[in-house]
Amino acid sequence: MSAPAAATAPRLAVDVGGLRLKNPLLAASGTFGYGVEYADILDLSALGGLVSKGLYLEPRDGCPTPRIAETPSGLLNAIGLQGVGVRAFVEEVLPALRAYDTAVVVNVCGDTVEEYAEVTRIVDAAPGVAGVEVNISCPNVKKGGMAFGGDPRMTFEVVSAVRRATRLPVIPKLSPNVADIAVFARASEEAGADALSCINTVLGLAVDVETRRPRLAYGTGGLSGPAIRPIAVRMAWQAARAVKIPVIGIGGIASAEDALEFLIAGCRAVQIGTANFVDPGVYARVRAGLEDYLRRHGLDDINRVVGTLRYPGLPAAEELGG
Amino acid sequence: MAVNREAALVSRQPLDGAYLLLSFRHPEVAREARAGQFVMIKAGTSAEPPLRRPFSVLTVDAAAGTFTLFLKVVGAGTRALAALAPGDLAQCLGPLGQPFVAPPAGHEALLVAGGYGIAPFHLFCEELLRAGGRARVFYGGRAEGDLQVREPFARMGVPLLPATDDGSFGHHGRVTEPVESYLDAARGPAVLYACGPDPMLHAVARLAARRGLPAQVSLDPWMGCGVGTCLGCVVRIQGADEPRARYRCACTEGPVFDGREVVWAGDEVSAARWEAAGAVVPVPEGR
Repeated sequence: MSAPAAATAPRLAVDVGGLRLKNPLLAASGTFGYGVEYADILDLSALGGLVSKGLYLEPRDGCPTPRIAETPSGLLNAIGLQGVGVRAFVEEVLPALRAYDTAVVVNVCGDTVEEYAEVTRIVDAAPGVAGVEVNISCPNVKKGGMAFGGDPRMTFEVVSAVRRATRLPVIPKLSPNVADIAVFARASEEAGADALSCINTVLGLAVDVETRRPRLAYGTGGLSGPAIRPIAVRMAWQAARAVKIPVIGIGGIASAEDALEFLIAGCRAVQIGTANFVDPGVYARVRAGLEDYLRRHGLDDINRVVGTLRYPGLPAAEELGG
Repeated sequence: MAVNREAALVSRQPLDGAYLLLSFRHPEVAREARAGQFVMIKAGTSAEPPLRRPFSVLTVDAAAGTFTLFLKVVGAGTRALAALAPGDLAQCLGPLGQPFVAPPAGHEALLVAGGYGIAPFHLFCEELLRAGGRARVFYGGRAEGDLQVREPFARMGVPLLPATDDGSFGHHGRVTEPVESYLDAARGPAVLYACGPDPMLHAVARLAARRGLPAQVSLDPWMGCGVGTCLGCVVRIQGADEPRARYRCACTEGPVFDGREVVWAGDEVSAARWEAAGAVVPVPEGR
């Protein structure tokens, strides 16, 4: 055996702007369905929380196919927010999810500011929801999505509307496809956000050289997976430095070391996305790795890792902007 | 129920060309997999290539707790699997998806395979014969070297009609031609089953619809997760009573679909809807 067992297991619980999680690992929106799909394959109660697939008021068809393309250490997708609509989620899926001891965060979408607010009101009225993630960063829809997340004034407007529609923690999910994420982080904070999710997918294009067409039917897509991790750590770090509210790091996490990069850079929690497809057993592995790391470093609480980046000669925030 | 586990390679048998057989230890797949179901599998834990790949289960050995895949090395995922040595680990989730549905009693199962699309029909023939049914395999490929899995059908006493594009073995031409000839001879009732490239599946579905025969087709789109969460593998499906096609996950609602309900590439409606609507083509929405 290696190190002697600690008297007590290290504490992994975190509070992300009022979203209380028993461990800092959430399943990222769009990579975990509505949660129930994985109920037979892994222990959902092992997750700190899960974020639902993005939900509009009405069901949506999504993009034509092909929708996914594998790229180096990454996955390019243009799903286009296919979904059942928020009412079907609340009535048919949420009751089943309440059986599991894990925080359920609902990712809300809209073509208009009013739709975001209406979806949020429906979510707010449903029992068993722990938080609202505001999707202002999907690169694969014509309206809403990044149109709101690419303009700080629209970001402020959408987040304010969602804020007024719920008492639940409000967590805008920011786009990396902007010059300076700090501007959007601050706009969200001023609008009353409780936390931030950083980042959504990176806009990309993959070309089939035989047909000279994009590999995805939609054309461009959102890149995820380990390929984007350094970009994501940098942007989550920038966002965390720009605001007082906590940040949830997202982007290519597949191991405890990956998660720790985000935590050390200043994130209070992380979301695991593309790795769910590669290995549904990723949560148990990452959680064990976090505990092992804390023991090796003589720490009793994951919160003591958060924001401990040693960065001599750290550039001022304004030097990092766009 | 699908189980995610590390699966050790127990045997590896290279065949001609880029084809090979790989057997893995996975007791749940070995015990529960039905013909047409698949596993999501990836060699080792390296970052490259990122995704697992879906493969139909060729055979199972429940007693030994192993299953066998038949695959052709075509890219990074299959290359990594082909490079495994006995004892090496793969990550494997399965069994997944909806299996083939056996034909009604007294119907002959006509199994149409293109290339590595032969994979699910080994298990299917075992199931059919065990239930007292009859099967016949039509096996097409570019050349003789693409028809690697023939011996098991001979062993089971299942007739196999080969077809090759280059005429190097069996019928010279498309695999659907001997299917048509066989059906022209008008024997008893039959159900068509197909697994292979999309154009072949489409041809079989068309052939079946023209003759009023049921057809089950196993689709093979790119898959991300295998469990219905990534929504990457969706296909357009339209039942007779559905005014518009809907995207369904090939991984959970398929990969086996009713050929008449598939909206094929370039089509606006499914054959089932076409017939239900009295063959009046709906005006396509603006393109």
